[in-house]
Amino acid sequence: MKNFLSLRMLDLCSRLFIMLGIDYPVMRRILQVKLTMDQRRVPTIFEQSKSKEGNQFIKSLGLYAFYGLILIPFIMFGDYYLFQMSLVFAMMMFILMTTMIADFSAVLLDVRDKNILNTKPVDQRTVSMAKVVHVCIYMTQVTGAFAVVPLLVGLFVNGALFTVIFLIEILLIGMLIVVLTALIYIFILQFFDGERLKDVINYVQILLSVGIVAGYQVLVRIFDFSDLNIDFTFQWWHLLLPPIWYSAPFEWILNGNSAGYIIGYSILSVVVPIVAIIIYSKLVPSFEQNLQKLLQYSGDNKRKAHRLDNLFAKIVCKSKEERTFFRFSTLMMKQEREFKLKVYPSLGFAFVFPFIFLFNEISMNGFGGLPGSKYFLTIYLGNIMIPAVVHMLKFSSNYKGAWIFRATPIHDESIFYRAALKAFLTKLYLPLMIVLSIFFLSMFTFRIVPDLLVILMTGVLHALLSFKLLTNQTYPFSRSFEFASDMDTAKNIILMIIVGLFGGVHYLATLLPYGVLGYLVLVLIAALISWKLVFSAKEKRSPAGQT
Amino acid sequence: MVNQDEKILSLSNLSMSYGGDPVLKWIDLDVYPGQIIGYIGPNGAGKSTTVKIMLGLVGGYNGKVEIFGQDIADGDPSYKQKIGYVPENAEIYDNLTACEYLTFTGEMYGMDPETAERKALLLLDKFEMRGVFHTKISSFSKGMKQKVLIISSLLHDPDLLFLDEPLSGLDANSVMIIKEILAQLAAEGKTIFYSSHIMEVVEKISSRIVLLADGKIVADGTFAELQAKNEEGTLEEIFNQLTGFNEHREIAKSFVSIVREGGS
Repeated sequence: MKNFLSLRMLDLCSRLFIMLGIDYPVMRRILQVKLTMDQRRVPTIFEQSKSKEGNQFIKSLGLYAFYGLILIPFIMFGDYYLFQMSLVFAMMMFILMTTMIADFSAVLLDVRDKNILNTKPVDQRTVSMAKVVHVCIYMTQVTGAFAVVPLLVGLFVNGALFTVIFLIEILLIGMLIVVLTALIYIFILQFFDGERLKDVINYVQILLSVGIVAGYQVLVRIFDFSDLNIDFTFQWWHLLLPPIWYSAPFEWILNGNSAGYIIGYSILSVVVPIVAIIIYSKLVPSFEQNLQKLLQYSGDNKRKAHRLDNLFAKIVCKSKEERTFFRFSTLMMKQEREFKLKVYPSLGFAFVFPFIFLFNEISMNGFGGLPGSKYFLTIYLGNIMIPAVVHMLKFSSNYKGAWIFRATPIHDESIFYRAALKAFLTKLYLPLMIVLSIFFLSMFTFRIVPDLLVILMTGVLHALLSFKLLTNQTYPFSRSFEFASDMDTAKNIILMIIVGLFGGVHYLATLLPYGVLGYLVLVLIAALISWKLVFSAKEKRSPAGQT
Repeated sequence: MVNQDEKILSLSNLSMSYGGDPVLKWIDLDVYPGQIIGYIGPNGAGKSTTVKIMLGLVGGYNGKVEIFGQDIADGDPSYKQKIGYVPENAEIYDNLTACEYLTFTGEMYGMDPETAERKALLLLDKFEMRGVFHTKISSFSKGMKQKVLIISSLLHDPDLLFLDEPLSGLDANSVMIIKEILAQLAAEGKTIFYSSHIMEVVEKISSRIVLLADGKIVADGTFAELQAKNEEGTLEEIFNQLTGFNEHREIAKSFVSIVREGGS
């Protein structure tokens, strides 16, 4: 096991831990094991080699450093610190909170710890401290990667004092985020059981990953228009916005603005994290107790109504077997958390992107010309997610259950694929497009109905193409998510370009009289033929897996 | 050798509830060195809860639990030094290799890493698992994982062992080895607390059988004593009788008839 750099750094404060009554060598050993496991978050299943070791985490740190670049313009822009730094800290809190919840829930909520560590003659406080330090090491690394370039830029542009304040503020924010996340978990666990907590975490993860992308777009746009003078008038509810607390010290110390509210914010920025830590340390014992709930299955034993699913199954599937697998696929998409986590953000993007580009246009040229224009074609951006989701249909966290595909006495195996794709189109794609269409119809009037139909049909065609290119005869929901990232980039780019192609032809078609209707007929025929071609009946594969 | 008269473990008036109905109701139990206690009972009788209380995994119980003469409620975890535990759900950090995991748990019991590693390798070798010492546990079969867990519970030479269904996933030959190991450990004065649902094994290896039903101890004694008090028969039959269960035939019959319904 490696002697991690972070542990050697920690050794410098070993005295402090010993003073707190912590068994330092034991804590260090637990941390070493935990860090080793973090590196191997990707569990090996097939090979026994160490091929995937190490680099995963370093790579992700690189990505954070890249995200950090987005802060630079806000730091360099001028000396409206209250405004600029609020934006900087808002983004920072958002990113840190996301990572904390997305990547670190597993650590905070690891129930194995209890059976493995608490059965050993180890003090509970040492175990708890190991957990806290583990989270802190992780946060330091992520925050460090994220903030290092902005800090350097700040040093050169705004001077040393700026950098010192920045550094302290970052530390405080890091603390606040760690404790805040833990407090949220404590709160949820207090009132709900583990299953509900997992659901909440799942939805927070989905929401945040959409929020990051959409939030950037929105923030950048706000920034464009407010490049005049920024006046800040104090409102009481501003006190509820932590990013402003953290920007206040810059205003106070660097701009010499010592208005009462500025000093108030600055005090809050220091006091709140400390108070939060005190509350946290008081609540930790009950948290550890409530963690037991994660092991309890108090799922309510109620039959869920699937009438709508059954109706859809009857409409889109011919045979009984296909209907069965359609319903199965629908359930997998609806109920599997990891699947939702990988797929729903793409759906969120698909929903948000058309609007972002549309608002861009509105903000530049006003709303007046919109209804007559061809900007409804931005809906095509919604189709970009299709290849990614179709790719995901192969994966499941319960991939081991896929033996059922082989064990069932079904001859025509194309129905597995057909059912999964149909489930995606009717349960995920169609609702999304309907909602988007309602918004777009309200903006562009009913004249775009044929266009929307064209877009819908190209979506089906696109799904079929993606399926043909990406699935390679893998049963739906039959592989571990570990391999979900091995998407063929070249194929993926081709599939993205295809969206542009469909959109481009669509644009040209609008220039011709009856062009759109002609295009619609064309796409419809193409979709029908390719459906037949892609899903021609296949015999079940030989056990060796070759066709 | 440990003094034979000294109580290793003593539960007095132990009761416990998770909010609602009590899971354990005023349990009294004294255990002496060299005993292999077969701790049996129907699902939900409170077996796991008892073990978890003794290991300090669950708090909030009423009554007194003394292990090696120490009241475990005093918050000092050092009594766990001489305890080994094989958990029920095979919980293990399976991203670690066998070597890493065993060395780690050994160190948690206060062993030095070199000794722990050397002993772990020797013990794995006895199960013919030397070749996977540096392989991640996640790639192990169920039986191999179980052997790692058994070794990790014994590595530090504990005086008291808690085994929760320790034979699950092991093949017949390995089962024979483990049973023999337990017998020899008991002969050395070690105390073993063995929970299982497989009555044949409990009947054969236990020197004392404790039957828990509905949070109470309903039988306590050697197998011969239990046979004397109840109708003669196997432990399974005594178990059925004491837990008031005699409908297995009827249930099976109606189960099969449902299976047959509309089948081809």
